[in-house]
Amino acid sequence: MACLCDVALIAQLCTVLRGGSCAVTFGEWGSGLGITFAIDITSLVFAALGLALSLAVTLYTWREDVRPASAALFHFLIGACYGISFTKDLFNAYVLFELVTVSSYLLVGTDRRPRQIWAGLRYLIFSSFGMSVFLLGIAVVYAHVGSLDLDVVAAAVSASAGASWVRLASALLVGGVAVKAGVFLFSLWLPLAHSQAPPAVSALLSGLVVKMGVVELYRLSAAFPIGFALTVLGVATAVLGIAYAVWASDLKKMLAFHTLSQIGYLLIGFGTGSEAARYGALDYAVAHGLFKALLFLAAGDAAAAVGSSRIDRLVEGRDQLGGATRAAIGLATLAILGVPPFAGYAAKAVLESGIASVPLRVCVFLISAGTAVSFAKLWPVVAGSPRGRTARPRAAAYAFLGTAVILFLPISRAMEPVSVWSATLHLPAMAEAFAASLLGTAGYRWIRRHAPRLPERIFFLEEGILAVLVGIFLIYALLGGS
Amino acid sequence: MVGWQGVAAAIVLFGIGTLGLILRRDLVVKLLALGLVNSSVILALVSLRARPNLVPPLLDGPTPQALADPLPQGLVLSAIVINFAVLAVALVFVMRLVERYHTTDSTRLERRTHDEEES
Repeated sequence: MACLCDVALIAQLCTVLRGGSCAVTFGEWGSGLGITFAIDITSLVFAALGLALSLAVTLYTWREDVRPASAALFHFLIGACYGISFTKDLFNAYVLFELVTVSSYLLVGTDRRPRQIWAGLRYLIFSSFGMSVFLLGIAVVYAHVGSLDLDVVAAAVSASAGASWVRLASALLVGGVAVKAGVFLFSLWLPLAHSQAPPAVSALLSGLVVKMGVVELYRLSAAFPIGFALTVLGVATAVLGIAYAVWASDLKKMLAFHTLSQIGYLLIGFGTGSEAARYGALDYAVAHGLFKALLFLAAGDAAAAVGSSRIDRLVEGRDQLGGATRAAIGLATLAILGVPPFAGYAAKAVLESGIASVPLRVCVFLISAGTAVSFAKLWPVVAGSPRGRTARPRAAAYAFLGTAVILFLPISRAMEPVSVWSATLHLPAMAEAFAASLLGTAGYRWIRRHAPRLPERIFFLEEGILAVLVGIFLIYALLGGS
Repeated sequence: MVGWQGVAAAIVLFGIGTLGLILRRDLVVKLLALGLVNSSVILALVSLRARPNLVPPLLDGPTPQALADPLPQGLVLSAIVINFAVLAVALVFVMRLVERYHTTDSTRLERRTHDEEES
């Protein structure tokens, strides 16, 4: 019911706006003191993503007995996510972030298995520390600007460009949000939490909650000069995610590492700052949310059918998987590889067309190939003859997300200006996408034999907190260099 | 307290808390350190705009120039409540872990959950 209300509201907002933007200020304080909600294309895109994922997860868990507490937490989570996509007030964002994460800690531990609780506690310690850093950034901003509204802050920042407080505040704010956003050095908690959570929760965490950090980074990048730092972090995040995903032997863990690598794309897109790259990153945020949710839901289903989420076991027991489950894994894999005409290609091509610098384009190409390398492990699971069957509500959830993944290309093209996407329907762009996936798939065995095995220790708790501190200093240094 | 003294104290406390978070392996001590980090930020937030001789911003108070800024105090109230809630949730999680593993040592927990996963 609540979902249906949301559908109606967001559809109405879309029709009222038609590409323009407006703002609503709450309280009787006027803008600058009151909390402003910006309703523009970015916030609507993210709200629509939240809506799609909440519908899919509702379908997925239709006939199962979900605890009433979990259902309530789910609604808190979705509601707070809408809030973060709309808010333009820093402190309001802080409160909503805490609301999102408190509900997600509890959702991660929802089955009360000790390993899940440990994953949830680690997540809690990391993000509480990150939010403290964010609040420190808010304190610095408030001391110098006297307002927390991002428009007012942006004006003050551009008036005092290069001042040391701007550098400090942006390092602290970006560092704090990056802990939530799945960024290299900051979010080393993510692989464990996302792989241990129940499938429906993983889908939400990876598809939606991480995007909330990204949308806040995007809002910050409109006010603070952090484009260069975001691009560097994006490349580092993607490389790290792929390096570990190649080695991951557990399907859910591999998907969690790929969340990191795909967040890298978004950061590169938002950091580059050209219009096409921005649209591409928005597209990619939605596309990634859709196919990653599909992958996590199907992976959970497959793991339940086989009794393990290890990839070798899945390959052995692949005949027990339902046909719909395997179709879902296959489709989502094609989409994440960026094979035309699915969602991944539609978004990635726009993003790449917006990147001017050649080294960065090469990086993006290699990241695509790297994604194909680690997903080469999955093809044996998809091949073979299905004998099991998929529960009907789950098949409905796959059908819903799968349709969205297929229809993404025409829908997104209809909503964007033609100048942004005209280059993406040409042959070179498609050839490039195919080349990256073929290259990666072919290179899988060679890379598996020659790449060194990476240490798992950096994902431990203490090392992770240390990495957050290092990361904040790194951003501070990068801001000086740009 | 004059503003800069509060900020200096906050920085020191933040450092101590972070060190505790990294160096101490006991989860309860870690959570105490996390609480210290959170509180130090709150101290920084209230004292950044504090000046000597300010008075509380009451409706029938004296001239407007001498009033303390009420907004950070409002923000801090929310932050304190949030930190309290987060810490409470964390302690419940620790309780659950102790029931299962009989230890609060983070390194040992990390190893044991990791080993369980491998097997």
